Amino acid sequence: MDGFLTSRVVTDILGGLTNGAIYGLVALSLVLVWRATRVLNFAQGAMPMFATYLGMGLLSYHWPYWVCVGVSLVAALAIGAVTERVLVRPLYGKPEINPIVVMVGYLIILEAFAAAIWSTTPRSLPAPFSPIDWKLAGRPVGLSPFSLFEIVTALVVMGAIVTLFRFTRLGLQLRASALAPEVSRLLGVRVGRMLTLGWMLSTAVGAVTAILVASNFFTGLTPQLMDGIFAFGFIAAAVGGLDSPVGAVASGIALGVVLQFVGDYLNSNAIILVALGILIVSLMVRPNGLLTRSTARRV
Amino acid sequence: MSPVARRGALALGGLVVALVLGLTLAPRTSDVVAVVVLAAVAAGGGFVGSLPTVRAERPALARAMLTVVLVDLVLFATAFLSVPTDFNLATGAGMAVVLLGLSFLTGASGQISIGHGAFMGVGAFATAIWANHHATTPIVVTLLISVVVGALFGLLLGLPATRLRGPYLAGMTLAFAVAFPAILSSFSSWTGGDSGLQLPNSATAPHWLVGLFHAGTPTLTTDTLWLTDIVMVATGVAFFFMANLFASRTGRAMRLVRDNDVAAELVGVGLPRTRVIAFVISAAYAALGGALWTLLNNSVSPATYGFALSITILAVIVIGGIGTISGAIIGGVVYAYSTNVIAWFVARTGLNPQGNLASQLNGIIFGALLIATMMFSPLGIAGTIRHLRQRRALARERGDLRGTREGPTLAPESGTRR
Repeated sequence: MDGFLTSRVVTDILGGLTNGAIYGLVALSLVLVWRATRVLNFAQGAMPMFATYLGMGLLSYHWPYWVCVGVSLVAALAIGAVTERVLVRPLYGKPEINPIVVMVGYLIILEAFAAAIWSTTPRSLPAPFSPIDWKLAGRPVGLSPFSLFEIVTALVVMGAIVTLFRFTRLGLQLRASALAPEVSRLLGVRVGRMLTLGWMLSTAVGAVTAILVASNFFTGLTPQLMDGIFAFGFIAAAVGGLDSPVGAVASGIALGVVLQFVGDYLNSNAIILVALGILIVSLMVRPNGLLTRSTARRV
Repeated sequence: MSPVARRGALALGGLVVALVLGLTLAPRTSDVVAVVVLAAVAAGGGFVGSLPTVRAERPALARAMLTVVLVDLVLFATAFLSVPTDFNLATGAGMAVVLLGLSFLTGASGQISIGHGAFMGVGAFATAIWANHHATTPIVVTLLISVVVGALFGLLLGLPATRLRGPYLAGMTLAFAVAFPAILSSFSSWTGGDSGLQLPNSATAPHWLVGLFHAGTPTLTTDTLWLTDIVMVATGVAFFFMANLFASRTGRAMRLVRDNDVAAELVGVGLPRTRVIAFVISAAYAALGGALWTLLNNSVSPATYGFALSITILAVIVIGGIGTISGAIIGGVVYAYSTNVIAWFVARTGLNPQGNLASQLNGIIFGALLIATMMFSPLGIAGTIRHLRQRRALARERGDLRGTREGPTLAPESGTRR
């Protein structure tokens, strides 16, 4: 049994689950925004990055770790709300490339400002739990307290989002605003407010992700922190279907595991190449995602 | 004076001015030949290209003449400008070719790419790799090979585009841009890994050019001049073909796909084919731009073709005017001079040039301009200029009509034309 737990396959699966949890969270945050406002948010990595700098920067003033995490989340909620109201709202009903371009501009600005204020030097964040793998009979298992924390956090966040959308009045209003804004407005739902809330939720999920990513010893917090992760998150969301939260999370986790094997058995350069290949093939087979029901496009 | 005579006089006047200027500036008698030829081409091309009959009945010829005149004027200028300026302009011209490709993609099919920096890199590395294996290939052939390689990459990524709508394609090109450095290092035995590649032999100016401008002594200046001129001619050819494509039947079909894909399908335009063709052409143009950069720098480095370049390309074309041809030229100029302008601004405001803010000013300004353009004037500088000209033309027309007695009957005073 010990031998099995420390075998290469199991280690890869566990490591893959950890990465996959991160990809799944990014994919989930993309889906939240897409469902609410039909915008693919290319600044979905940069906005939480900025919030993380704001919150976790307080560590250097000796604020307690969890308070800093809380401040980051509040900052993320605020950034999400302001972004939706100021940048995104004027874009509803415009050609679909307009929000894409605006969000890329926002990405450029946020990364430039972050670098101008906090410099491009990586800033290491303390991991709240040990990032060193547990050992069985002297061999690493491929799972550390911190990576377990990552997986658990991801599951909790996903569970909270599902609960919110499925079982609460607010969640019903959120779904209604996304699917039928006119009808919802007639029935008394404050649709504008719901869209803002969608962006706030999404940015908060992003901030959780950004803190987890930045706590990784090897990367640290940098302005470009989320560029690469965003690409994987997008691939997960596109493969699973931008309309399907469950699909996004599931394909994020699956992607993480597959890519861990690719990285281990091939090489690290092959990871993003295989991911790109998966994206191309899956988009050719199912342009709307593997896990969504096909829908007719209204003309 | 008839329009033809007026244009003739204008062309003649231009010829005389160019000759006087050239003869005063040209240091040696051998240069005079070049000046005379260039000025004559400008005047003749301008005359033929602007003839009303030619413009109406042979639009392609008119466009060809316009391209010849523009390229000719640039060549004329490069002979007298400083080496750094030439180099800067040529860099901008290479970028303008890439921007034209991206502008075409959006203008013709309504799609957008966030990965054109990577397609540019494909062309840049294809040129360097080919030149390192076949040092004797003529430059034109090497450029064409790079364009073909770029088109193949475009086809590979464009195939899913047949069934995709906007955001999916944008995300996929972004993933390609992020993956591109990994592609390069996966094939490091070809691409030279982190250090990139040098071209085996730098392009040297041919004898006639050296004889013409520098009395037979080849120098770095003549070589840069030669390279600049190659880039400029290639840019001119690229723009000429694109202008024709925009105006052709294929171009019209593509614009219909952009504006209303369902209507396009109903009148028999094949959506998948049109989308893929637009994407492939766009990628090929980006590859040509990258190939020109490699020629110009005599080397290629993977660091140039990172994700940052891709988003800069998008920013510059949106500021210039996405979907327009002139927007690509404006964007190229903006790109070529942004560094200088920002450095000047930093010097004027007394910011620490090595400081964080000064080094990020580029991104802050580009990002802000990108958002502002999309919010307030989605067609960028080119679109704004066009809009202002249309308004002036309209105002003039109204003024004319008011001046004549029968005016109001021809066009009602208000309400109908806005």
